[in-house]
Amino acid sequence: MKLFKTISRIAIAASLLIGAAVHAEVAVIVSASNGNGALDQDTISRIFLGKTSNFPDGSQAIPVDQTEGSASREAFNDKVLGKSSSQLKAYWSRLIFTGKGTPPKESGSDADIKALVAKNPNLVGYVDSSAVDGSVKVVYKF
Amino acid sequence: MVLRKSGLAAAVILACSPAAFAGDLQINGFMNITAGMLSTEDIELDGYDDGVSFDNGSLVGLQLSKQVNDTTSATVQLISRGSQAYETEASWAYITYAASENTDIRVGRLRTPIFYYSDFLEVGYAFNWVRPPSTVYRLDSLSSISGVDFTHRFSAGGMDGSVQAYAGRYGGDLALGDDIYSIELRRAMGLVLNMSAGDFGARVSYHQAGLSIDANPAAAALVAANPTLTGVVPVRALDQLAAAGAQAGEADAFTADEDKSAFYQASVSYDNGSTSAIAEWTALKHDTALLNDDSGYLVSVAQRFSDYTVHLTYTANEDDLKSGNVGVVQGLAEAKENSVILGVRYDYDSGTAFKFDIQQHDEELVNGAEGESGTLYTVGMSLVF
Repeated sequence: MKLFKTISRIAIAASLLIGAAVHAEVAVIVSASNGNGALDQDTISRIFLGKTSNFPDGSQAIPVDQTEGSASREAFNDKVLGKSSSQLKAYWSRLIFTGKGTPPKESGSDADIKALVAKNPNLVGYVDSSAVDGSVKVVYKF
Repeated sequence: MVLRKSGLAAAVILACSPAAFAGDLQINGFMNITAGMLSTEDIELDGYDDGVSFDNGSLVGLQLSKQVNDTTSATVQLISRGSQAYETEASWAYITYAASENTDIRVGRLRTPIFYYSDFLEVGYAFNWVRPPSTVYRLDSLSSISGVDFTHRFSAGGMDGSVQAYAGRYGGDLALGDDIYSIELRRAMGLVLNMSAGDFGARVSYHQAGLSIDANPAAAALVAANPTLTGVVPVRALDQLAAAGAQAGEADAFTADEDKSAFYQASVSYDNGSTSAIAEWTALKHDTALLNDDSGYLVSVAQRFSDYTVHLTYTANEDDLKSGNVGVVQGLAEAKENSVILGVRYDYDSGTAFKFDIQQHDEELVNGAEGESGTLYTVGMSLVF
């Protein structure tokens, strides 16, 4: 019985982990009315690091971040930007104090970001894939 | 110094405006606490001696920024430096006008963008050293100008870049060694080109100005003729140098009255997230013989291990003398030095870093004679908020 309990616990833990991994897919989104198709990682990274302020079609691109500490934000920083949170802080402190750039505005969680992005074709954000609906367009997934 | 009060006044206006409560006043700050000591008093480096000193590199900075309308914002940066008894001054106070999405024009007191690290020279959190090596980062007094600059950002292919042009003037004090000079830079101007592609970056810049210095060879000559006046009439190093120049029949060469000075800078950098490197080269060329031409460079590599970053730097600076008699006199002030810096940075959290640097410094030439070598130990804590 004891052995069985342990095994079932491991199975539950494993299924939870797998479940978490499936749900952790993050989508980079723009408004459904945004004219751009898919974006590549380099372009997204340049927009979120303030190196460019335009989408590939030339229209203005304004990035919005999730609130610090969210799982989607951690994943985005790590996989798309390739920087730790302290490296990002150092990166932005080089720009903030020169008036040459400000970090993307912290704009809340999945639902907040989706609502903002849906309304404004110049915004680009990222949300958990499960939050995506017809009001927004997925341009990159990881 | 004149701007100190107006800067504070601007900050007060910014802070007191009703919109400050509407959440569109941006406040950012940074702080460095630095302590250091030299292994020996035989060398001079960054103002340290062989006792522990806390004040030298310690500072607090507060930046207030307010969007006035769609295209215009106002920014003030107030800094209190330990090396100046924590007196608060406005290092920057400027208005930014966004002429277009990718073009900004700034007017006011600006930081002179002479080096790669100039823009964030005092934001310790932004780099790995306790402070960038003074063999290259050697124009502290000239870090601000009053004027106007123009920045245009562009993207081409996979590259992003910016070009910045500025013009303005600076008048104030220049500290050289233990002496203070009153200097003026007129018609100061410069051009900076920045490029980045993937993990690579490059920056080249050119700067020039008409330099005037209040060197007073008469004071040195007077004391030389009347030794009893030693200590009564102050004589600074450049006063002596100018007097020596006059004795050699080169009095005109050793004056600075709107004489052109030029500064050249080039750097390349690499950062893939865990490994980073930078090489920066700089050179100063003066028409006046009062200040020696020199060139300084650094090469630095860093490797990140989770929250720790280990870095190693080699840096050197060497004077370049003019020809003939003038050069012989300049030899009295000739300097040549190099340093190896080994350091570690620990990121405590996103916003706080601790640093420890060991710098082995060799003064190959001091005032034309062979110098000494020694070690500088510095520790620092840097915050941004």
